[in-house]
This record gives sequence, structure tokens and C-alpha cells, in this order.
Amino acid sequence: MGVDRDYRCQVIKPEDFNEFWGLVLDELSSIELNVKCEKDELRSDSKVTVYQIFYDSLDHVRISGWYSVPNTPVNGLPAILLVPGYQSDPPIPKDWSAKGYACLSVNPRGKVRSRSQFDPGYPGLLTHRIVDKNTYSYRGFYADAWRGIDFLLSRGEVDSERIGVAGSSQGGGLAITTSAMRKEIKAASAGAPYLCGFMDAIELTDTYPYQEINDYLRTYPDRLEKVEGTLAYFDGISFADQINCPIIMNLGLQDNVCPPETGYALFETIGSKDKKLFEYEGHGHEAGRYVHSGIMDQFFDKHLKG
Amino acid sequence: MSDNRPLDFGQFWYSLGKELSEVPIAAETETLTMRSTDFADLYGIHISSIGPYTIYGYLSIPKGDGPFPVIYYVPKNASVLEIIPQGTSNQIRSRYITFSLACRGMRTADSPYAAMYPGQLTEGIESLSSYIYRGVVADTLRGLDFLLTCPTIDKSSIVAWGNDNALLAGALHGAVTHIVSTPSFLYDTINQASRTSSYPLEEFNDYLRHNPEGKGQISEILSYYDLRFHSSAITAESLIMADYDGGLFDKKTLRNLTENMNGAVTVHPSERSSYKDGMFCEKWITDKLFGKDATPIVPNHWKVE
Repeated sequence: MGVDRDYRCQVIKPEDFNEFWGLVLDELSSIELNVKCEKDELRSDSKVTVYQIFYDSLDHVRISGWYSVPNTPVNGLPAILLVPGYQSDPPIPKDWSAKGYACLSVNPRGKVRSRSQFDPGYPGLLTHRIVDKNTYSYRGFYADAWRGIDFLLSRGEVDSERIGVAGSSQGGGLAITTSAMRKEIKAASAGAPYLCGFMDAIELTDTYPYQEINDYLRTYPDRLEKVEGTLAYFDGISFADQINCPIIMNLGLQDNVCPPETGYALFETIGSKDKKLFEYEGHGHEAGRYVHSGIMDQFFDKHLKG
Repeated sequence: MSDNRPLDFGQFWYSLGKELSEVPIAAETETLTMRSTDFADLYGIHISSIGPYTIYGYLSIPKGDGPFPVIYYVPKNASVLEIIPQGTSNQIRSRYITFSLACRGMRTADSPYAAMYPGQLTEGIESLSSYIYRGVVADTLRGLDFLLTCPTIDKSSIVAWGNDNALLAGALHGAVTHIVSTPSFLYDTINQASRTSSYPLEEFNDYLRHNPEGKGQISEILSYYDLRFHSSAITAESLIMADYDGGLFDKKTLRNLTENMNGAVTVHPSERSSYKDGMFCEKWITDKLFGKDATPIVPNHWKVE
């Protein structure tokens, strides 16, 4: 099936978008970070030290993460916030630290080790309280990821001027929202971005996780307007014009999870003048990872180590 | 790494089967209306395994009278249980009964034991009796026991699909007729772990770094689960999704598995594209169960106009 590179999504950014998220950020900043950082001896090795970390986020939900640093003592480390996929377990980011970065792999609410206070499950997260932007699951979920930047800024070994964000799939969507909302981000990489063009994606795909929304609307068809209204506040496309940092994106043109059409629409909307799209024909949701990982390394080396 | 099958290998697995047979399946079924469609109904299933321990699965049954072929998505080494794997066309549920199972420790089967990922692969590995994977394998087999109680299954077409557990299911349960497997951690485990720093195998490296004196012992324990020693018991027609040539579990490395299996085996080296590899799997299984003229059910973005 040919992909329409000029596809544009139907989402319209709400007029009070900035006000809505401004209030969320205000609320978030009023909550003490309350960091706990414990060395994980089992996962640490001769090259990398791994920590299990915790901090407080919106609604005082306790968020966990894996934090790793290279063992070679260096002041002013470049840092990466690694944001997770939808159903996968956030990885221990030893590979990033082996390349010289401090790296936080965050588990937003509902993910493993961050689910004692909030756990809508899988399937479930995508439609939990989807009729109300003020209680929708991703209001807190996004904030949990953004708060990872506060954690990195709290670390003495991290150079606050050299922080990037990376992720694929849901991580790609979170890389978009995080780089839009946190100006400390100096470089971003978003692969096969999820959470972008929701209402188009549910028509373009026949796969989970977007099917969760179709399941919901089949059950509650009268709630369509409310669902659309909520999702407009959470759509990566609504955030994208606020991205100013250098950013790369990669798409698989046979992506069966996050339709590439929504990726093109997203890329068009990104505000940064320093943006580049990598398209991988013959690739699915992995979006050309085996080639693109080298491109990502060069990109972050240039912007965070250069 | 032990290169020999343990002397009591058969006895070990016979004992597990006997223990499992003495635990009633005790299925409880609930209809999941929101996930049911005009072409398939979805059920949540609680069943009992050894311990006793309650595990959970999603059972999807096509509308109609059946019998229907079955795809059994075996337990993963990850926390989340999916109805069908992410990216699979939901329409697959119109053709197959699908059953995805959470083994002990995964979400929906994590009370009282919640596994960590990474963590589960070395949990209790200090001894053969305490190693958690004995229970994981029992859970995998119990899923097949449950499927055999479903009246609309086609017993001539039961596919075990997933990681190493799909091969263990084929070796240890006679119901499996076809296998689609991507070996990831139970083939020559300790030797393979020494060649990588990536999880899940890195979990074994982590363990051995802190318990170097335990290498011989855990090698011995893992040999009960090693796919090489189960290979001759596998008679199902199988598709092995190997790594790309030169990768950790490439075709050459897996020879001691694939050349000793007693059913027909297709080994497909990864093309490093989830689209190309996924298409190969869908075409293979459609061909085997429905013949070469049948059309695979694939996601929208994999369809060629």
C-alpha cells in the first residue's frame, strides 16, 4: 500500500491548549521531587553503575526509573531521557551509559514498578478516563516523563546544557511532547511516533494498541465528541509546533502499529528549523532500527557531546 | 555450560507433568464485552497451575460454529499480557481461536508473585527445585490443557507461537501441531550470554558477576530447559525465526536445535525488518493451515494493492 506523504491529520489544536498544560506544569512544580536513588549492585558492572530511582510526580504518584552512568569519572556528563514504548518494559539503559551518557529510563505511572497507585492495565491505559482531559490517564503519564528532566537536573554529574530525549513508538510520542514542553531538551529523537493523530490512526490501522479506542467507541458511540475533545489536548501534533531543538524522526513505511501517514503529518507540524526525517521503505514498526541506531548515535554525539 | 542432557532429564519433566495433571484446571470464564467484535468474542480466563497458582489468559473465539484453528500465544518474558501481539491485524481473530496466556509473575497473574523484568529468568535459580521457570513451563503447558477443553477448537491445527516457550510447549505437550518460535534465551544460555551485554541474556551475566562460584550449578539447572535437549521431542511442523546471519541466534548457531527436531523445520534468518519477518510468518502459517491459495490476514500497512 502506498503511503500518502502529504497526509494531514484532522486534529485541531485547542485554543486553550497552552493554558491547560501551563496549569499542569504549575501543579507539577508545586510538588516536591523527593528523589530516592539506590545503587543496584546486581545490574552494575565494570563499565556502568545502575541505580533504581524514584520521584514524585503529578497527584503525588511515585514514579520509578533506571538511571545509569558510566564508571569513568567525568564532570558534566551529557544526558539522555529514555522514554518507553506502550506495552514494553522500560529497559535498563546500560548501552547508553557505555556510550558516555548519563541516562534515565523512566517508568511513567502504570508501568512496571510505578503501578501501586495507578494501574489501568493493558489494554486500558489508552482509554482510561478518555472523556475528561483533566483526569485522562496521559495527563499524569506525560507529566511523569517530563519530570524525568527534573531528576536529571538534580544530578550533579549531569551537564544541564546537554540533555536529550529519545524513544520509539510511545517513546517517540513522548519524545515529541517532552521536547515541546521542556526547553532544557537540546536534541530529540522520535521513532515511529505513537500518540500522534489519534483519530486518524484508529481509521488507518486495524491493530492494537490503537484498537483500544475503537473498542471504546464501539461500546460507547455517544462519547465520540468527548473523546475527540480530550485527545486534541494530548495529540503530539498539537504539541509539535512548540519544538525548537534539533530533532530527527524515523518512520517505517510499512508500520503496522503507528501509521506512517500520521508521522508525516506530525513532521510537517514540528516547529524546529533543524529537523530531519528518515524514511525506511520495507520496514514496519521497528522503523529501520538496525540502520537508524547509528544515525541516532551520530546525532546525539553532535548535539550533546560536540 | 553443560553440553550434556542431565541423566534424570526425562524424570524431571515426567514429574512436572504428573504434578500438573493432579491440579484441576478449574477454569473461570468472563465475557469481555468491550473487546468483543462482530467477528469474535473475547473472554478472560482464570485457570489453575501447579503451586497451586492462578494464571490468566485472553481467549478469542470467532463467531460461527467452528471448528477453528488455534493460535496459542505462549507466555512472554515481559510484564504485559496482550490479547494478540501488538501490530497483529485484529481480523486474525475472525479466522483463528487465539489464546494469550500470562504465566505467573506477569500482569493479571501477579498475585501473590509479581515478577521483575529483568529478574524472572534468574529468580530462584540457586536450585533446581526453587527455579521459577519450572512453574513458567507448567503454566505454558496448562494453557494447552485448557485449550483442549474448548469445544470449537480444531485439534489438528494448534499453533504454539512466541519465544522459547513455544518450543518447550511443542516438546512437552502432544497437542501442538505447529510452532512459530523466536529462540531468545533458552538455547545454550550461559555460552550465548557471554557473547552479549543485552537483556534478557544480560540477566544471567548480572547473576554470574555476583555469584561466579555458581556458574556450574546454574548451567546444570538451565540444561533441563535447554532447547537443544528438547529438540528430538519436537514433532510439530515448525518455523524457527533465527537472527540475521552473524546475529546471536542465527541459523548456524541454532543448528543443534533445528537439525535434531523430528518434525519438518523451516529456518528463516531475520531480514531485520518487522514487516518482512512478520509477512513471512503470516504466509507460512496460512500456507500450512489453509493451503497455498489462501490469503494471509495481515495489517493494513502490509497489504499490497
